[in-house]
Amino acid sequence: MSQMASENEENGTEMQSEPEESPYSLARAKLENLLNKSMRIRMTDGRTLVGLFLCTDRDCNVILGSAQEFLKSTDSFSQGEPRVLGLAMVPGHHVVSIEVETESLPSSTQGI
Amino acid sequence: MVMKSSVEEDEAGWGLGIPEKMRNNANWVDITQEFKGACKELNLGELLHDKLFGLFEAMSAIEMMDPKMDAGMIGNQVNRKVLNFEQAVKDEAIRVKDLTLPELIGIVDTCFCCLITWLEGHSLAQTVFTCLYVHNPDLILDPALKAFALGILKICDIAREKVNKAAVFEEEDFQAMTYGFKMANNVTDLRVTGMLKDVEDELQRKVKSTRSRQGEQRDPEVELDHQQCLALFSRIKFTRLLLTALISFTKKEAGAVSEAQKLMTQAADLLPAIHSTIQHGIQSQNDTTKGDHPIMMGFEPLVNQRLLPPTFPRYAKIIKREEMVGYFSKLIERIKSVCEIINIANLHSILDFFCEFSEQSPCVLSRSLLQTTFLIDNKKVFGTHLMQDMIKDALRYFVSPPVLSPKCSLYNNHQAKDYIDSFVTHCSRPFCSLIQIHGHNRARQRDKLGHILEEFATLQDEAEKVDAALHSLLMKLEPQRQHLACLGTWVLYHNLRIMIQYLLSGFELELYSMHEYYYIYWYLSEFLYAWLMSTLSRADSSQMAEERILEEQQKGRSSKKGKKKKKARPLGKEITMSQAYQNMCAGMYKTMIALDMDGKVRKPQFELDSEQVRYEHRFAPFNSVVTPPPVHYIQFKEMSDLKKYSPPPRSADLYMAASKHFQQAKLILENVTSPDPEVNRILKVAKPNIVVMKLLAGGHKKDTKALPEFDFSAHKYFPVVKII
Repeated sequence: MSQMASENEENGTEMQSEPEESPYSLARAKLENLLNKSMRIRMTDGRTLVGLFLCTDRDCNVILGSAQEFLKSTDSFSQGEPRVLGLAMVPGHHVVSIEVETESLPSSTQGI
Repeated sequence: MVMKSSVEEDEAGWGLGIPEKMRNNANWVDITQEFKGACKELNLGELLHDKLFGLFEAMSAIEMMDPKMDAGMIGNQVNRKVLNFEQAVKDEAIRVKDLTLPELIGIVDTCFCCLITWLEGHSLAQTVFTCLYVHNPDLILDPALKAFALGILKICDIAREKVNKAAVFEEEDFQAMTYGFKMANNVTDLRVTGMLKDVEDELQRKVKSTRSRQGEQRDPEVELDHQQCLALFSRIKFTRLLLTALISFTKKEAGAVSEAQKLMTQAADLLPAIHSTIQHGIQSQNDTTKGDHPIMMGFEPLVNQRLLPPTFPRYAKIIKREEMVGYFSKLIERIKSVCEIINIANLHSILDFFCEFSEQSPCVLSRSLLQTTFLIDNKKVFGTHLMQDMIKDALRYFVSPPVLSPKCSLYNNHQAKDYIDSFVTHCSRPFCSLIQIHGHNRARQRDKLGHILEEFATLQDEAEKVDAALHSLLMKLEPQRQHLACLGTWVLYHNLRIMIQYLLSGFELELYSMHEYYYIYWYLSEFLYAWLMSTLSRADSSQMAEERILEEQQKGRSSKKGKKKKKARPLGKEITMSQAYQNMCAGMYKTMIALDMDGKVRKPQFELDSEQVRYEHRFAPFNSVVTPPPVHYIQFKEMSDLKKYSPPPRSADLYMAASKHFQQAKLILENVTSPDPEVNRILKVAKPNIVVMKLLAGGHKKDTKALPEFDFSAHKYFPVVKII
């Protein structure tokens, strides 16, 4: 968390000056649409976290709320039983894939 | 895209890890690339987040893949299957019958090590329950292992119950969580000790049958068998004795505690036999020097990994087998000394016992046993005496208040009785808390002592009022007698003791910097010990007054004038010790002032604070106390101002004065009859300091820039000053 925390704190201050259609504001809009959606992140060690998308930054560090940890399928032990983690941050370089639940995705943003 | 394809590859297997509900209802869409691309557009350091989610919340997130925070990652990094007990039995990774003696010895020893590690503050899940066998002893067919597994579970269960009940632990001492493990509650204590005894008898028969006979040619194999049987026998018996002793502590009848003491002595006798046979047990198979978990048959350090909360100490380092016996022998010594408390009748001596016991920094189990032995469930001391009666006895012993003397007219006076009874009842809770505080670990005690001063201040106030009420009653009944400041003196005495202990413990915990020593020692010597000594002498004279009255009454009745033998004053020893402590503190205070004059005390560059801020912080808990009134910084500065002397003393004068104080302390202590270890410890500091101060007074190394060293190794509160 330190790297995210120690740097600039508030977002959105420079946003007003950006023109509406800039890549920056488009990207922000995309990401903001995903906020509080159920997200599934696969990590480099094979584990998967499922939780609500709460926060990200340029390095793709992602914070998930009410996160649950699932082991990789090859692990026969305690299969299918998630472990509750709560608030968890996945460092960007450990993110292998990100998926979002379509049910919780409004149709307008389906194809971001 | 490399990443993408790897995801698709595993896609089929993915669902297996996800609960049914999610798999069916949710339709997951991969957005990896879009997401990462969008993130790159963000500015450096910019956070994209919901309005309700800020930096503050973000700080409390655990960081995945950080070995310190992520408990889950360990399990994923080992290249072996983590099996639970049932799976391991099914896969025949472990056996539940036909275990060899070395296997049993190894398992038992590892379990003992786990037990100790748990008692030292680790979680059950990472210690005892890494042993698969204890997860379900019903599945074990080997009678010895089964009885042992049940025995260990019972020991854990009773220990946990005791520790919880005594409530003198903090998270650094003890993990009370049981994670829903079954603690052999379906079997009675008696049944388990019976099973252990059966196994023990069986082993003893084997030991006897393999014993060497005179003139017989010894078969080395038989000899080995004999050794191993004996090894297992000692371990099983040890388990039984430890368990039975703990069960004894839960019994309420008299004699249970001394029974426990006997059992512990027997257990201690087995330790050499256990120690000498450690090598007979099987050892873990991998190299643990690299920090790996030891892999032992029947043990799986990671079996409970997923039960642990997300933020948790990752890895409990189990103590080594070689250290096991040493720990047990110390534990047994501690438990044995806990048992001694039932032989003490006086509340003050009990308090001293708690203080002394705590000074050895005992483990949480022995601390808890001491608490529960002192105050049993029914709130009675040792299960028999009312706390109120103990307090009355303490008062009689300390100040002999007329109201508690059968010879006094107040003794049977209704109103006086009401006063004293309600006062004593009010005393009960603060004193129980005070005793409980002494059960906590040393670091926590200090904080709690600071808080309890508030309760004692209230008590002090009440004591003074009751004294006044009793005095006016007594004046009407027996005008020649007084009831002044009796109860008040007693409460004040305890107040002062708490304050002194609060300040002194700061040295033990290494809280003070060198430049703070002078005002701490000043406060102790000029103020608290001075008050303590006048309080003690007031109590002493109050006792004498009461004795005189008794004598006169007796003279009137019996004509026989037996020559009164000179009795030692009950508070004599304490007064002497206070004088010694006061001199030690005064010596240290003057030493610090003189060192400061010579520029040998490093002072901080006060920027955001000042000496006053620190001073006020150090003595903050004393603000709630009315008597003695707190000495504020300004007062302290005035009182300790050296300019009021003419001529003002130079550093050499102060060194000399300090030397005299240490000399005085030495004289006082050397005259103590039957010196206890504490006397000798202080002497060990006083003697070298006398010499060092004389040297310094003579200008020895006056110009050296090197700072003096303070060596607290001889005594926790007073250092030997070393000039380099």
